[in-house]
Amino acid sequence: MSTPVLQLRGITKRFPGVLALDDVSIEVRPHEVVGLIGENGAGKSTLLKILSGVYQPDSGELLVRGRPTRFRGPRDAARAGIGMVHQEQSLIGSVTVAENILLGAEGRSVRAGVYRWSDLNRRAKAQLDKIGSSIKPTAATDSLTFAQRQMVEVAKALAVEEQADHEPVIVLDEPTSVLEGADLETLFAQVQRLRGMASVIFVSHRLDEVLRVSDRVYVMKDGRCVAERDPKRVDVDELYRLMVGRESTGQYFREQEQRPVDGAEPLLVVEGLSKAGKYRDVSFTIRAGEVLGVAGVIGSGREDLCRTLFGAEGYDRGRITLAGRRVRFRSPADAVRAGIGYIPSERRVEGVAMGMSVRENILLADPRPVSVGPFLHPGRERRTVREWIDRLRIRTPGPDTDIGKLSGGNQQKVALAKWLNSPRLRVLILDHPTRGLDVGAKEDVYQFIRQMCGRGMGVLLLADTLEETIALSHTVLVMKDGQISARFDAAPGAKPSQVELVEQMV
Amino acid sequence: MDRDTAVRRLIAALPLAVLIVLVLVVTAKQPTFLGIRSIRTLLDGAAPILLLALGQTLVILTGGIDLSVAALASLGTVLLAKWLPGMGPGAIIAMLAALAFAGLLNGLACAYLQVPSFIVTLGAMGLWSGVSLSISGASTISITKGYDAIGWIRDLRLAQLPASFVLAALLAVLAAVVIRVFARGRLLHAMGLAERAALMSGVRTPRVRLAAFALSGLFAGLAALLLSASQFSGSPTLADALLLPTIAAVVVGGSAITGGVGGPLRTLVGALIIAVLRVGLSVVGVDPSYEQIVYGAVVIAAVALTLDRSRMGVVK
Repeated sequence: MSTPVLQLRGITKRFPGVLALDDVSIEVRPHEVVGLIGENGAGKSTLLKILSGVYQPDSGELLVRGRPTRFRGPRDAARAGIGMVHQEQSLIGSVTVAENILLGAEGRSVRAGVYRWSDLNRRAKAQLDKIGSSIKPTAATDSLTFAQRQMVEVAKALAVEEQADHEPVIVLDEPTSVLEGADLETLFAQVQRLRGMASVIFVSHRLDEVLRVSDRVYVMKDGRCVAERDPKRVDVDELYRLMVGRESTGQYFREQEQRPVDGAEPLLVVEGLSKAGKYRDVSFTIRAGEVLGVAGVIGSGREDLCRTLFGAEGYDRGRITLAGRRVRFRSPADAVRAGIGYIPSERRVEGVAMGMSVRENILLADPRPVSVGPFLHPGRERRTVREWIDRLRIRTPGPDTDIGKLSGGNQQKVALAKWLNSPRLRVLILDHPTRGLDVGAKEDVYQFIRQMCGRGMGVLLLADTLEETIALSHTVLVMKDGQISARFDAAPGAKPSQVELVEQMV
Repeated sequence: MDRDTAVRRLIAALPLAVLIVLVLVVTAKQPTFLGIRSIRTLLDGAAPILLLALGQTLVILTGGIDLSVAALASLGTVLLAKWLPGMGPGAIIAMLAALAFAGLLNGLACAYLQVPSFIVTLGAMGLWSGVSLSISGASTISITKGYDAIGWIRDLRLAQLPASFVLAALLAVLAAVVIRVFARGRLLHAMGLAERAALMSGVRTPRVRLAAFALSGLFAGLAALLLSASQFSGSPTLADALLLPTIAAVVVGGSAITGGVGGPLRTLVGALIIAVLRVGLSVVGVDPSYEQIVYGAVVIAAVALTLDRSRMGVVK
């Protein structure tokens, strides 16, 4: 058997108060796709940062092609042939594709501080050709779609090959988290293609995808590598059990808890809503206890629709009625006062207030339940916050801990608690509520959605996957080019298929 | 109490330790430093800096900065000198209202024109300085008629100490209490740490910004009151040299220049540090004209030591 291209032996990394990695050993062989799965906080990100030279391990060995190596920074990692495709895209929007691909590796394409454009573009094109992409090296990065930018990132990662004397190792960190439908298939095809010229580490929390593309799967849990499996001899349930440490419930989405809403009062009625260039003539009704899922590709206008309903964006025409009263929101504050809550997809920037404590975040939207007049009631505050932490099983050292120190799943629970704490909440808009969450945290979110419906709230859902949209919703709307292209009833046992939705999306 | 909280409290206590060490050092050099006369002089000088710094603190907490405070205070002294002879005590109210309004304008430009506060208040600094110069004819106007309306603040003593400082310190405590006991008291901090998250939680962030800047103007007015009383005059440049020590007081006190961390009580400590430093410099024989050099160095050093760079992508 040939030498592994990359070996980690007994890697340990400690941060103040946490053992992030505990004696982790993995290896990557030539032309192999290695899957890496684990819940948030399992140590995946730390491991990747060690691979890319951002962190140095406290102990353990890193071998590239059998030779012990130390990465002092990202440059060393690139020289050793490790190319990263980051979860949060890291391209510079204002420059060309070619500049991005060879950023930091311009080398001979810069002479006396000046780009030799023809050479730069030729080198960038070579990388794009490898992955069969037709994106022009001279294109402005800003003008590309999300999926196209991801392809540029892959090409950029492949460009490390120029610096190393061997085939590269490409690390794909959660590459599928914002892709849907056709884009997803393109990516899978791309991974197959990469296998011919590189080794791949595929990090994802979507177990089915990892099983589909990987030759071998490592499972991480609590900073340790707990299992190595052959995808042909393992199923999603077993991976789930290894990763979470408990049995999968099987009834993941709690469909049995979906109650019919036929006779319920209409909560949110939208009629003929239009905004130039974004969406037009959108009409729908959300009843008390109903989950309305909206499916659509990026650019379908569904995100803009959400932001309009929350008062963060304006609209040109149409009518919004909330609980029988005509409303027109000028700001999110208006929407919140009328009883609308919003879990934004950008959790770290808009969803929770980083730097503020768990307690302050929970009370940010509506402090009235813990106030006497304008004053805070310390006892009531303490009890209420404690109650939410217990009820939503928020794992935090204490109510005064900075929310930035919590895992993504627990941050999201705090964001939910913030809205549930408001007695006036009627409709909750969930924009990718499970994005970046691990399986266990997702299940908790699904459970809350069912509970909220049980309390007579309405939910507008933009889900992470079609599977999620279909399983959680009473009704599914499909948006295409700013218009509603289809509407499906999704009663338990009579749900539409993913294919039916996709047909209407593209 | 978890580890983080303990560490945070320790860091918060550091400025107080610095203050105590500074007092001990100066006293060792000059034993009369802790005498009542010397303390009175010290606090007299500290009071306007503290008032300006309190207003500045509110703005800095929201993540902005107000470079116009000193220019506004100078304008305030000119307005007082112009209005006191005719209006009597009403001139004080009018001047405070005018300065609060000028602060409000800063806030409006930041919140609604979406211009960074650094630029808005830099522009406002020049603008209001120009207004002061033209109103005053570019000269110092001494206040004689109507001086009694403001003179009391100069002579009044509370617990043997200058009333000006005691009242300013009480304002700091009051502001700290408001932040603590009001359900919405921590909005300034929320703005500084995570403005978008606050906005998306239904906080009316533009109003919070307006309030911070208007209060900053009001505090500049209070500082102007003290300055006019102690100088018996109004002058278009009277408070200008106070901008740097004011910002120094905020950052030395331990409030983050990036916003969201800190508060009025820290600024109280910071203002005292600056005041003691000022006296200490003259005790060790540093020429007063070098003061600004020290303040400038102190501001940069304090931010360099305390800036939480993990919160910023790139430091610009």
